[in-house]
Amino acid sequence: MENKMGYNASFAEEVFRNVDSGDEIKMCMNCGVCAASCPLREHMDYPPRQIFSLIRAGKREEVLGSQSIMLCTSCYTCVVKCPRSIPVMDVMHGLAHYALKKGYTPRIEAARFGKEFWNQVYRRGRVDERDLAQRAYFAGGFWEGVKKILEFADVGIKLVLHRRMKLIPEKKIKGISTLRKMLDKAEMLDKGRSVQ
Amino acid sequence: MDKKTAVYICTGCGIGDALNVEQLLEEGTEEFTIDVSKDHPCLCGVEGVEVIKKDIADEGINTVIIGACSYRVNYDVFNFGPDVIVERVNLREQVAWVMPPEDENTQELAEDNLRMGCSKAKDTQLPEPFKAEEEYSKDVLVVGGGIAGMTAALETAKAGYKAILVEKEDKLGGFLGKMKQSVTMPYKELADTGAAEMIAAVEAEEKIKVYTSSTVEKISGGPGIFSVDIKNNGNAVNERAGAVVQATGWVPYDANKLDHLGYGKFKDVITNVEMEEMAAAGKITRPSDGSPVKNVLFIQCAGSRDPEHLPYCSSVCCLVSMKQATYVKEQDPEAVNYVLYKDVRTVGQAEDFYRKAQQDGNIFIRGAATEVGEAGGKLFVEADDELLGENVKIEDLDLVVLAVGMVPASKPAVTPRIKAPADAENADEEGMIEVLPDSGFFANSALNLAYRQGPELPTLKYGFPDSHFICFPYETRRTGIYSAGCVKRPMETAKALDDAAGAAMKAVQCSELTAVGKAVHPRSGDMTYPEFNMNRCTQCKRCTEECPFGAINEDEKANPLPNPTRCRRCGVCMGACPERIISFKNYSVGMIGNMIKSVNVPEEDEEKPRVICLICENDALPALDMAGIKRMKWSPYVRFVQMRCLGSMNLVWIADSLSRGIDGILLMGCRHGDDYQCHFVKGSELANTRLSKVSETLDRLALESERVKFVEVGITDYEKIPKIIDDFMETIEEVGPNPYKGW
Amino acid sequence: MADVQTTNQSILVVGGGMSGITSALEAAEAGYDVVLVEKNPYLGGRVAQLYQYFPKLCPPNCGLEINFRRMRQNSKIRFFTMAEVANISGSEGNYNVTIKLSPRYVNDKCTCCGKCSDACEAEIDNTFNFGMDKIKAAYLPHEFAFPMRYVIDPSIVETEDGKKCQEVCEYGAIELDMAESTFDLNVGAVVWAAGWNPYEAEKIDYYGFGEYPNVITNVMMERMASPNGPTQGKILRPSDGKEVKNIAFIQCAGSRDENHLPYCSGICCLASMKQATYVRERHPDCDISIFFIDIRALDRLEDFYTKVQEDEKIQFIKSKIANISEDEATGNLLLEGENTRTGEQLRMTFDMAVLATGMVPNKIDIAGAPEVAADEYGFVINDPEKAGIYGAGCVRRPTDVASSVADATSSAFKAIQSIARR
Repeated sequence: MENKMGYNASFAEEVFRNVDSGDEIKMCMNCGVCAASCPLREHMDYPPRQIFSLIRAGKREEVLGSQSIMLCTSCYTCVVKCPRSIPVMDVMHGLAHYALKKGYTPRIEAARFGKEFWNQVYRRGRVDERDLAQRAYFAGGFWEGVKKILEFADVGIKLVLHRRMKLIPEKKIKGISTLRKMLDKAEMLDKGRSVQ
Repeated sequence: MDKKTAVYICTGCGIGDALNVEQLLEEGTEEFTIDVSKDHPCLCGVEGVEVIKKDIADEGINTVIIGACSYRVNYDVFNFGPDVIVERVNLREQVAWVMPPEDENTQELAEDNLRMGCSKAKDTQLPEPFKAEEEYSKDVLVVGGGIAGMTAALETAKAGYKAILVEKEDKLGGFLGKMKQSVTMPYKELADTGAAEMIAAVEAEEKIKVYTSSTVEKISGGPGIFSVDIKNNGNAVNERAGAVVQATGWVPYDANKLDHLGYGKFKDVITNVEMEEMAAAGKITRPSDGSPVKNVLFIQCAGSRDPEHLPYCSSVCCLVSMKQATYVKEQDPEAVNYVLYKDVRTVGQAEDFYRKAQQDGNIFIRGAATEVGEAGGKLFVEADDELLGENVKIEDLDLVVLAVGMVPASKPAVTPRIKAPADAENADEEGMIEVLPDSGFFANSALNLAYRQGPELPTLKYGFPDSHFICFPYETRRTGIYSAGCVKRPMETAKALDDAAGAAMKAVQCSELTAVGKAVHPRSGDMTYPEFNMNRCTQCKRCTEECPFGAINEDEKANPLPNPTRCRRCGVCMGACPERIISFKNYSVGMIGNMIKSVNVPEEDEEKPRVICLICENDALPALDMAGIKRMKWSPYVRFVQMRCLGSMNLVWIADSLSRGIDGILLMGCRHGDDYQCHFVKGSELANTRLSKVSETLDRLALESERVKFVEVGITDYEKIPKIIDDFMETIEEVGPNPYKGW
Repeated sequence: MADVQTTNQSILVVGGGMSGITSALEAAEAGYDVVLVEKNPYLGGRVAQLYQYFPKLCPPNCGLEINFRRMRQNSKIRFFTMAEVANISGSEGNYNVTIKLSPRYVNDKCTCCGKCSDACEAEIDNTFNFGMDKIKAAYLPHEFAFPMRYVIDPSIVETEDGKKCQEVCEYGAIELDMAESTFDLNVGAVVWAAGWNPYEAEKIDYYGFGEYPNVITNVMMERMASPNGPTQGKILRPSDGKEVKNIAFIQCAGSRDENHLPYCSGICCLASMKQATYVRERHPDCDISIFFIDIRALDRLEDFYTKVQEDEKIQFIKSKIANISEDEATGNLLLEGENTRTGEQLRMTFDMAVLATGMVPNKIDIAGAPEVAADEYGFVINDPEKAGIYGAGCVRRPTDVASSVADATSSAFKAIQSIARR
């Protein structure tokens, strides 16, 4: 086997057939808007568009083993912006589900991240980027946390500079109790499908 | 005609405040026979026009000189019918609005303008439209029986005109006839090509005469009176036509030049044209062994968008590959198509077909092929995948389809060579030189025009006989001959249908205008035409060589043989002629010369220089009007003389002006060069070339070369006009007064 | 009341832009009577608002001038500005059309001397410049306006300003009591060349058009680059008038997007490249980024793409921009996207961003009009089964000037055929 990526349509066919909403990726025209609108893009190994490219290229291991597909928090931003109306979120969930079924386990960071994201939304009704990162990084212990923070320091500084991340903690949104009721209901409905 | 001339000066819009009108009427008309002269506070108003109309009716006035606003406004108000000559003298935009009022220089400018107007009116004759001796035809000759040609013929017939359709193959249809299906509006699904129905409609239409297995051997004459020799299965036939549509189509780019993509090396590497023919014939299989295809890869831009091959985009190949991918899927839903592309170019609503192709599960890979090879009886393609950032390999391919581009049928495989002119730099040892695409000797044989400037339509650089104008896509360098379809530029079927109908429209229109002696675009409706005073011709060939439209032939003694129906009335021939033998009824060397002579040249000690500006009426003159409307200021010493095209500029005007004391000559014309804007294609460039020969005149008169200057002025350059004029006046001041004043 | 006699041998052309002018002229020069109606107070439509055409970078007025001259000398054409179709009935070969004329408040005695404008104090938004500046309420729509005649805005008709304009006019050209009027035509065929509108950029909310002053559209850029535009041809930031040091062009702003316009608008790639050359010409130090999905430069237009790519100050980045945010203090814009060639997340700051908004066709929208086929996007389909009313130009497909003119020429012929069939 040469050390060269080989296109192989069989994985694409597998995804089209077996993954929930998997055939929707056919419509992707590689504009990149999903990646750029994802609030968790800094944490993904492959943004959604690249996942779709990898599927078409036949990179089964990379896709099903990626943590990106586990990270989607259903914020809908990509779905709303996708010019080809691809339900990116559903595809990501479908892939995550399929990966789990095929025995791939999410890497520990992704699981922690997802959990923390959910917790924050539940607590405040919004995500505090700084707090989220901090909690996710330190969840594995103090030294690991320090290492991670240094690793992502550049990203963090950029986020602050571009006002995508605030240094002071975010406040709760108005009507948090209503949101919590919705989230409870959603969790109930979604039981068995959630990746967490 | 016996002229009875009246002069009317409008004193409205500030003209009356700026000028002494009484003095103007006196001084400005002194040397001319004027029967009536009047001023009016608002000449364009109902009462003002009534005054003129009354004089025409009661006094028998047939020549009206109006000193008022620019000729570009109130053209309809001051139109007194075809029997009255109207000459407009600009006293508003070029005088009252831009010069200081009640100033001696302003007054002199107005007087000179009026004198020039009077002089021009004196020399102007009513046009007598050209009428050829031969009987006129309004039939349209269509060369090429593909989709564009058949459409042009059918559309012509539907409008009630006759068409003659000449096709070199033994049956109609062209590439359309070879296609399995087509992608066209509304771009949702593949559609029937409609070729059979179209061929049947053409054959059933009694207004269309079809010649298959035929070629055009010779076209002589001109619009309205084309004589067409057709070789039909070896027999000679003659037809007459009013105009011609060239729809000779395209040929696929020669895939043998694409051996880096495996063509010629592997049997299963084929072109999109071969793919289409295979699909149309029935089943798509591997050419190597006839086995079914499972995995197909399309290589887009095979030759196109490649400076080594075809630098342009062939426009249709993205859609064609998507169409052929559909064939593959229809044949075997389990088959896989890969499309290796640079950019997906499905413009307009055609984007819908891209979506369909994606929906079908075809895999689009953005990148360029780096290798096409064979392993284990199957093909593989390696490519730089731009979006994965890796070199990738697509294996197990049954078929690789090269999406080769379109080459116009007019483009010669080998550029013809002709005998080089004496001063050519890049002539070979035998004194031969490559023909440039914009020459009539460049393109492949299709029309065989019996024209002095070559048998075919001049083309643009890649061999397309297309228009260089954005606003006028049907413009060609040969009057009454219009190109349509893919010979003109690569286009999909939906566009070819419209393009051909448009070309047919232009052809019919040309026949109609020609039949009544009128010019076609851009001087459409002009009823004058150049008349040659052959007694004084010296057979110098300048007119026959320079006419941008190839209108003038030559006999064996090099006498010019004008073809007025081919003429576009630009006056380039008139400007070229050193013997001044070419004239229009309302535009001639003598007339412009007299206008210039009517300008008063003050004595040197008055320190009032005089400059003549020969200005193109198409772009520079409207720009000057704009500068006037914006109330900009410039020197009062310049006298503007309107040219049909700067290409009609005759050097004798410059020589005459300078020899009677005019201090400088400024020429304002359109941009020339690759992105020329000259509406007569070559006029502005020719004027510039001609100007290089003016040094002879200047040397003879011992005058400075700075006295003559050419500037390119676009229609939106009005902001620059005052500076152009002021800079030139500064130059004139530096070189000092013309010593010939008062001679 | 317009004095215009037509018969079922006449052709009505609706829309006085490049396509409409072309259809009208081509038919008239072939000998047919044509009536051209245009809703603006001038002819020329969208192209009159352009600074230059791609790929020749030549001024549209150059071709318009020739066309206006063709029109001036051709008695077969009658044209009406501030005119719209109020009603159409009938069928191929015999249509009855009602034309509504909006009052201009200036009659044909206007000599274009400009005194009314000098006297008028009230100002209105300059729609010709997309509201980027103000003009007097007594105005000439633009310098090359054809017909060259002033217009009085309805807002001053009953004010002191209106009276002043009337008093100062020496030629009795101002009629403040002018009212809307209608007239009827009988024609044999109709060419619908009503053109297009730019897609409403506000609808792409994540680009902040209308909210961030330094986000403009491509049509606004044309006016800005024009010497007779709101900035006299200088490319300045709307927020503070600063000269631009770096500028972004965002392709497919609405086009190729199922949430907005699913089709490709055909011309925007080349329009942005052309506008990049405007910026380069005026501000040689300015850095230019063009963000695209695919570059669509068909046929010989590829040469222009090649030429623009050679400019080292212009970079092409394959990314659909996902968001624009503004730094309130500086007015600078932060663009986010994914560079899909490198996979990198993009965050780039620009002085100004130009949205390459697409074309929305002006479809036939007249109650009771005969049915004309259109596709799901509103583009007119010339269905041979429903002959008589023909689309021309950008009402049929989003396309460039040369193709629109070719198309308009073909539509003129279709109209002639409708008459020939009777």
